[in-house]
Amino acid sequence: MKTNFAHLSPEEKSIVARLKASLALHLVEEASASDAGLQTICPTRGVSMKLGIRGAGPALGLRVPQTSQISPTPPGRPSLLLFFPNTKAAVRVLSGAKGTVIPVPLGAGAFAALAFFRKASGRATELLRAPDTSEATRARLLLAATLYGLEAIAGESYLERRMQIVPDGVVSVRAGEIAYRVTKRGKTIQIQNNVAPAPASDSPRPAALLSFAGYRSAIDVLSGKRQAVVALGSGEVHIEGLLPLVQGLFAVLDRLSWYLGVEV
Amino acid sequence: MSEMTDERSGAAGSPSGGRSAVAAGSRFAASVAYFERAARVIPGGIYGSKSPGFLVPGHFPYYLSHARGSRIYDADGNEFIDYLCGYGSQIVGYGNPAVDGPALEQARKGDLLNQPHPAMVELAERLVGLVEGMGWAVFVKNGTDATTLATSIARADTGKQIIIAAEGAYHGAANWCSTNVFPVFMQAEQRDVRFFPYNDIQALEALFAANRGQIACIILTPYHHPTYRPQQLPTPDFIAAVERLCHAEGAYFIVDDIRANFRLDMHGSHKSFGAHPDLVTMGKALANGYPISVLLGSDGLRKTASSFFITGTYWMSAVPMIAALATLDEMERMGGTAHLAALGQMLKEGLESLGLEAGIRARVSGPLAIPYLTFDEDPDLYLNQRFCAAMADRGVFMHPHHNWFMSLAHTEEDIARTLEAARSAFRELGASSAAERL
Repeated sequence: MKTNFAHLSPEEKSIVARLKASLALHLVEEASASDAGLQTICPTRGVSMKLGIRGAGPALGLRVPQTSQISPTPPGRPSLLLFFPNTKAAVRVLSGAKGTVIPVPLGAGAFAALAFFRKASGRATELLRAPDTSEATRARLLLAATLYGLEAIAGESYLERRMQIVPDGVVSVRAGEIAYRVTKRGKTIQIQNNVAPAPASDSPRPAALLSFAGYRSAIDVLSGKRQAVVALGSGEVHIEGLLPLVQGLFAVLDRLSWYLGVEV
Repeated sequence: MSEMTDERSGAAGSPSGGRSAVAAGSRFAASVAYFERAARVIPGGIYGSKSPGFLVPGHFPYYLSHARGSRIYDADGNEFIDYLCGYGSQIVGYGNPAVDGPALEQARKGDLLNQPHPAMVELAERLVGLVEGMGWAVFVKNGTDATTLATSIARADTGKQIIIAAEGAYHGAANWCSTNVFPVFMQAEQRDVRFFPYNDIQALEALFAANRGQIACIILTPYHHPTYRPQQLPTPDFIAAVERLCHAEGAYFIVDDIRANFRLDMHGSHKSFGAHPDLVTMGKALANGYPISVLLGSDGLRKTASSFFITGTYWMSAVPMIAALATLDEMERMGGTAHLAALGQMLKEGLESLGLEAGIRARVSGPLAIPYLTFDEDPDLYLNQRFCAAMADRGVFMHPHHNWFMSLAHTEEDIARTLEAARSAFRELGASSAAERL
């Protein structure tokens, strides 16, 4: 059942806006890393910017092309703030509809950053849909959207009891060359991307492993084309280790799907 | 093998529904094909604890076609020595003629009738006479029916709301006790359920103190058998503390014996631990797989139970009651719990010593008739999954995340074959370096 934005609670409105902002920034980051065209138009000194939404907590920042940190405090001084006067405006604009957004220049390069962000967010959407996008790129974008989506919604009160009963621990997520570490601790989920395999002695052993047989499997499951449970049963998705941790995250994933289906 | 193939084609039909089987050539091609079809019309394909993700996909079947004695056969015709026993429901063996004979005879005469069959009276008398401290019986279908009725009667009798349970314990799939922790249930059915760590007397005392005057009951399994973790027997003082706290609070003590019943003691598993519950639920092995569970209660609760409107379309069907009586007879004839414990002892000692031989510290926890293997240095169960997968590859069905069950159909030869497979499975695990394994 699709839910209309107007029917959400204030907390849910805040979460869906923050989720959209997080996904927009992470998809721009991933697209910038994957797409040669975007790399050529990226300003030489990079882009550092923030998205601020009234009613949705601290602003989120992005810095590219360096390995970026999308957080309230990205490294370096941001040159641009995209400010949304309310959560509805943020959800509308970040979903590709018309709405109010106020670009606030904070330093040199603000307009270049704005132009880049517009192109990159459009390109990220294209890459997800275009038939000639490589499977690796599409899988990378979908995994980023999914995992950072989990991170964005984990703290909401709807999930509080669920997060209490899911054991804490690290899940290693892999699809081809793509590797993430998903750390569930208390009410939070934190994502680390492109984690190189480390010797067991150097880092805590993941409590669980979740791996896709290949990029195609990841795309089919993450795009909803193939049910995760069927992929699991047919061996396209493999889970190992502390299953309640992975299965608990699947429940958070269901909530993420609900948020992504909100209409505005 | 030809007989097996014939049986399979008769029982299972065409798994791919006319299309070529997915994963053709795999050992579980038919299972996978059925699962693909199921996922289109059944939520999750296979829901709940039988979901493929709860086992180790690729090493275990998803669909079984038939069983006999201690053996199960999957939709592809693979045979396994079974240590899950229909999640404990098989206690005298699959297809035991001593049970199936009278049950099938009653099925021909009529199962679900307008009024109960006289066997209901006989079974109630038998159980009340058998299970220590109980004065009446109500028959239902599933464990959830029995535990939900037990807590409801305790609430009605005391006029109090709060139910206390141990963390990680399983008491069924109803909203009050399930892991469906959606806020809509948390604000209603789950609101008055409180949890404490099993065997932690201090935490339990604190919980009783914090909720004084509001506690209707505590519900505990006779010993702790959480999923994914080693089993825990009650410490010497724990049961006495539970009873002391219940007495002081005026709360009822419910023993949820659905999973363990008749494997520890024919007089109720609580007898093994010196407990004196007010209500006892039993199921699973009660009728060797025929659908029936029971709530047994003390005389003090008879009046409240009588005031309840208790009914379910199938709750008084005759066949499971006939099967339950026959199962009890067969248990007594075959030597019951002592025989199960002896088989379990062989398995436990064998597995632990074979593990040591391979340089792996494996530990079997829980009662001998309901064993569960874990690995001391592997709390995340990687080794459980690899060991059980290796056993399944060798034709032995041991669940990696759920406790196992001994049945009276298991033979010493079955245990010997199981241990032979385990020797090879442990070697396979031991052959890898720790880094590779983990």
